[in-house]
Amino acid sequence: MRKITRAALSERMEQYHIFNRVAVRALLGYLALVVLFFFLAGEQLHFRRSRGEIAMPAADSGTVEMAAGNVVEQRFTTAVQRIEQVDVQWGTYYRPNAGAILMELWDTRDNTLLLLGRFDAAAITEGGVTSLTASQPLEGLYRIPLLLRVSSPDCQPGSSPSPLMSVQEALPDSSLYLNGAAADGVLCFAVHGTDYIWTGLHYWEFAAVGLLLLLAALAVIWYRVRLGKRSYVLNAVVATEKYSFLIRQLVARDFKTKYKRSVLGIFWSFLNPLLTMCVQYFVFSTIFKSDIPHYVAYLLVGIVVFNFFSEACGMSLTAIAGNASLITKVYVPKYIYPLTRVISSVINLGISLIPLVLVSLGTGVALRKSTVLAVYFLSCTIIFSLGLGLLLSAAMVFFRDTQFLWGVLSMIWMYVTPIFYPESILPDNFKIILWINPLYHFLKNTRICILDGISPEPTVYLHCMLLALGALGIGSWIFRKVQDRFILYL
Amino acid sequence: MSRTVIELTDVTMRFRMNSDKILSLKEFVTTALRGKLDYQEFTALDHVSLQVKKGETLGLIGRNGAGKSTLLKVISGILKPTAGSVQCQGTIAPMLELGSGFDMDLTGRENIFLNGAILGYSEAFLNAKYDEIAAFSELGNFIETPIRNYSSGMLARLAFSVTTVVQPEVLIVDEILSVGDAAFQEKSRRRMMELMGGGTTVLFVSHSLEQIREMCSRVAWLEQGRVKMIGAPAAVCSAYV
Repeated sequence: MRKITRAALSERMEQYHIFNRVAVRALLGYLALVVLFFFLAGEQLHFRRSRGEIAMPAADSGTVEMAAGNVVEQRFTTAVQRIEQVDVQWGTYYRPNAGAILMELWDTRDNTLLLLGRFDAAAITEGGVTSLTASQPLEGLYRIPLLLRVSSPDCQPGSSPSPLMSVQEALPDSSLYLNGAAADGVLCFAVHGTDYIWTGLHYWEFAAVGLLLLLAALAVIWYRVRLGKRSYVLNAVVATEKYSFLIRQLVARDFKTKYKRSVLGIFWSFLNPLLTMCVQYFVFSTIFKSDIPHYVAYLLVGIVVFNFFSEACGMSLTAIAGNASLITKVYVPKYIYPLTRVISSVINLGISLIPLVLVSLGTGVALRKSTVLAVYFLSCTIIFSLGLGLLLSAAMVFFRDTQFLWGVLSMIWMYVTPIFYPESILPDNFKIILWINPLYHFLKNTRICILDGISPEPTVYLHCMLLALGALGIGSWIFRKVQDRFILYL
Repeated sequence: MSRTVIELTDVTMRFRMNSDKILSLKEFVTTALRGKLDYQEFTALDHVSLQVKKGETLGLIGRNGAGKSTLLKVISGILKPTAGSVQCQGTIAPMLELGSGFDMDLTGRENIFLNGAILGYSEAFLNAKYDEIAAFSELGNFIETPIRNYSSGMLARLAFSVTTVVQPEVLIVDEILSVGDAAFQEKSRRRMMELMGGGTTVLFVSHSLEQIREMCSRVAWLEQGRVKMIGAPAAVCSAYV
């Protein structure tokens, strides 16, 4: 029989105590985040731009002059779940036209009129479009044969426009009829709409599953505590609390020594991204400005995120090697050193968000509730940087070449991340590099949240979190494995 | 019988010594390819078993390279032994060597907090004890100046003051009492005696046999990684000389 000493018993009680605190915080935090996210994500949680939209074909000829009696009919099907808008492109023969144009959208199964629009022919410009817009998105038309009918009740020959068409392009499951006669090619029309997001529709189910997983994890920890085994999670919590004062002191030291004897001091955290932005703006604005709305803010988001990343990793790199004198003299968990460097960089990031917000507001980017969601992607960047920082700091101990390699690598990384250029300028065979670059995902979604004012799709959140946690997992695993050998190489 | 605070069983510490230290990837790869990646094993501690009871002052003597510092590092958890087990109870305060743990750009006051945090003191404790630390160090107004302007004696005072303000269960002193002026040396010696009287276990490394004789209750003589002799100070010291 195992004898439980008094010390062990009090330690057990202590563990239960900590467990209760951790469990309550984890559950409350989770519920708060789930609800907060539901409200912040808004519409984008349920709908996304449809992948089945029909894009406007490039016009290469006209159909028929839209005089009274003539009719252009386009039969088609779409994979859009919620049709919101149908466009038709026009040619005017470069002359003033007059009269009314009718656009109708029919459901051919039972010949019901879905949308009807009446347009003034005089207002149509060469290459311009007329749009049928649904007041409520049309649902239930997925892969249903539809008919788009264009006609005019009163246009006169010689003063009526003509819908454009493309002879070259073809659309599956579609056919074009000009005055009842089948024609090759396709009408220049476009269909826009949104699709339901499966994950979004089942948001609360997912939230419940997450809750169950969390409860299961807590149960496992509780069980381990009951058996008297050590739990990594609880140990980590205890260590973080125990060393929080040390962490604060080390972060304070980083800050004090960083700006020691500089006149502007902490203002440099504020000025640095602004000045970089100014330089890059003057250099690149003529090339990319027209391609990117809110180019200044676009640039600044990129600079702030990448600066954080490169600073956090660069500082973590020397965290172990630079604190050699301390590590060889006193026992402190070694992960503390890279962690404090990353925390210092996070504070820097926080300061540089101030100019970002000011510049965004100044250049007409409105702050919306989705802006708050950017914090999520910034957190992913932070976790990712911590993982990479742990890895780099460990590698640096064994191979001092790491710092020079990292210098080159971070420069390459800067150029393959769309910081000052739009991702659209990259050729298609280069897209794979973007796709495997975690920083690109974090940056892109931060921009969506701030600049577009909408939330990315729900699955993106999971994707980014997995990338970040994956980096942290690999980094801390390697760090743990080699940390006992650090001292032999310092 | 007082309880055992430190217990070492069969501790062996082996280092791999590269013939020349390889610190770059290129060197590593090229030497590995040439098959010259040979290691010389160096045994710093060879099956050392040791027990230290609460309140004891254990002196460690031995020639340079005998493994004294390695032993202290193993006890304080900085080094993990290659084999054997180390069990320590309670807080261990290493007496930091001069300057390590200090940041030269920070002031004495900031360094007290930084170093205190490294030694594991809590914030409340440091706030309460700050005046005592500052007074003990006798630095006066210098406490507000960056310590890069300090003399080595002043640094030693600061280090000693921070480390001994707490009553640690185990205090590790590695050749430190020989710094500072005569008055401060005397003062720190008294403080050490005070700590020992209060039940702190002290591990004390010194080359001054006089100090060892005066302060220790037991002495271990290390030679080439082994405990050659352990026992009463007078006996071990005379055998050592």
